[in-house]
Amino acid sequence: MRLVLEGFLNTVALTLLAFFGALLVGSAVAVLRIVPVPLLRAVGAVYVEVWRNIPLLAWLVLFVFGLPEVGVTMPLFWTACVAIALYEAAFVAEALRSGVSSVAHGQGEAARALGLTFRQSLRYVVLPQALKRVVQPLANIAIALTMATALAGVVGVVDMTRAAQRINLELAQPLLVFTGVGLCYLVMSAFIGYGARVLERRLA
Amino acid sequence: MGRLFVAAVLLFVAGCSGGESAVPGGSKLDALLAKAPVHSGEVTPGSAVDRIRKRGKLLIGGSQDAPLLSQLDPISGELTGFDAYLGKLLAHYILGKPQTELVSATSETREPLLGNGTVDVIIQTYTITPQRAERVAFAGPYYRSGQAIAVRKGTSGITGPADLTGKTVVVGANTPGVKAVREAAPTAKIVEFGSDPECVTALKQGRGEAYVQDQAILVADASKDPELQLVGEPFTEDPYGIGIEHGDAEFTRFVNDWLREIGESGLWQEVWKLSIGTVVTGDAPAPPAIAS
Repeated sequence: MRLVLEGFLNTVALTLLAFFGALLVGSAVAVLRIVPVPLLRAVGAVYVEVWRNIPLLAWLVLFVFGLPEVGVTMPLFWTACVAIALYEAAFVAEALRSGVSSVAHGQGEAARALGLTFRQSLRYVVLPQALKRVVQPLANIAIALTMATALAGVVGVVDMTRAAQRINLELAQPLLVFTGVGLCYLVMSAFIGYGARVLERRLA
Repeated sequence: MGRLFVAAVLLFVAGCSGGESAVPGGSKLDALLAKAPVHSGEVTPGSAVDRIRKRGKLLIGGSQDAPLLSQLDPISGELTGFDAYLGKLLAHYILGKPQTELVSATSETREPLLGNGTVDVIIQTYTITPQRAERVAFAGPYYRSGQAIAVRKGTSGITGPADLTGKTVVVGANTPGVKAVREAAPTAKIVEFGSDPECVTALKQGRGEAYVQDQAILVADASKDPELQLVGEPFTEDPYGIGIEHGDAEFTRFVNDWLREIGESGLWQEVWKLSIGTVVTGDAPAPPAIAS
């Protein structure tokens, strides 16, 4: 029972921390992708293409076994957390960018015509409109991230799925154990979905 | 997941080199097959044996990434190891030819695979436990193994399972090692990795102070890697059984008869020499006594 609780808490912590990290990094990358400086846009594009086109499992294995080879050894939980955050950041960046793109061109032009700087037009005109459109895509990413935390179990983190596998090793009741775990993930995802709906209504 | 990933990579590599017919060790297995017994008695219509004969091949639930036990050779595409060879011999006993198909099983899928008839048998270092015996039938045990401890060369202070208390221990995910460590040293912190090479790397990188795994696998690892050192003798005894659909007493008896036969004829020992005996020195052990 302690194992179940430990697994559940680790999954929740991993989800929250990694999503928070992904939001931070993803916002920065999204800004890189839309600034009017070609070099920075290229940097943003390379980040997105490199991170989202390599499977998360490969990133996790590279981080956990590769980083110590170059002298960087972090606890397994944090290694997994950073890898998941950097991976999901690529998706967050694209969701944010498409939100910004969805704001009609005329809005940005009008802002510029009024004499607003790039920063001001983003802050006061484009972002407020973009934000409510990205709530649902971001919720999708948050839910995908919740599921992706299960991969951390492969690299030594005791998450909910890993805890379930340990219990099943003794109980030999996979259908029962994994239905229970599935329900836990469902509750977490439903919670994220509910939060997104509330947030969307607030921003509307 | 880790196993699946490794298996997928191996399959991919195997696919790339398709068309090669050279099978290392294959001829040795052929020599065994020439001596292997074929069932000659009556077959009850509708029984498991009848079903397998009508299908023309034996469906085995097992692994592709367990060294010495059941590992897919990426070059030849052949499955090698103790479990794999026994599967071939069992198919040969039933069908007269070593026609098998491996269905990748994991510790989460073994009981359902047997329960819904996707596989005929599970041969996958499947430790016989009372809890599992309530869900599946076991033939055997066909092998007795034990969990042993490996450390980085030069590590002091770990001479037996009791010394694992309070330490961080690397264990293969979903292996009997998880339970073994928990029982031998309840306060040890267990860190699991998906495959044996990952566990060895983790130990060498200091993710844990010791690595607990089946002795045969550790011996194989240590023979390839001078940084590894085995500590003492195995501290558990895991009887591996062949998993069969729950309640199929007839097929269980059938497989037990076959195990007894290959044990008495010396074939079991030859399979051991071809697989585990390539890294564990000394003579083949005596096959375990069949339970019923």
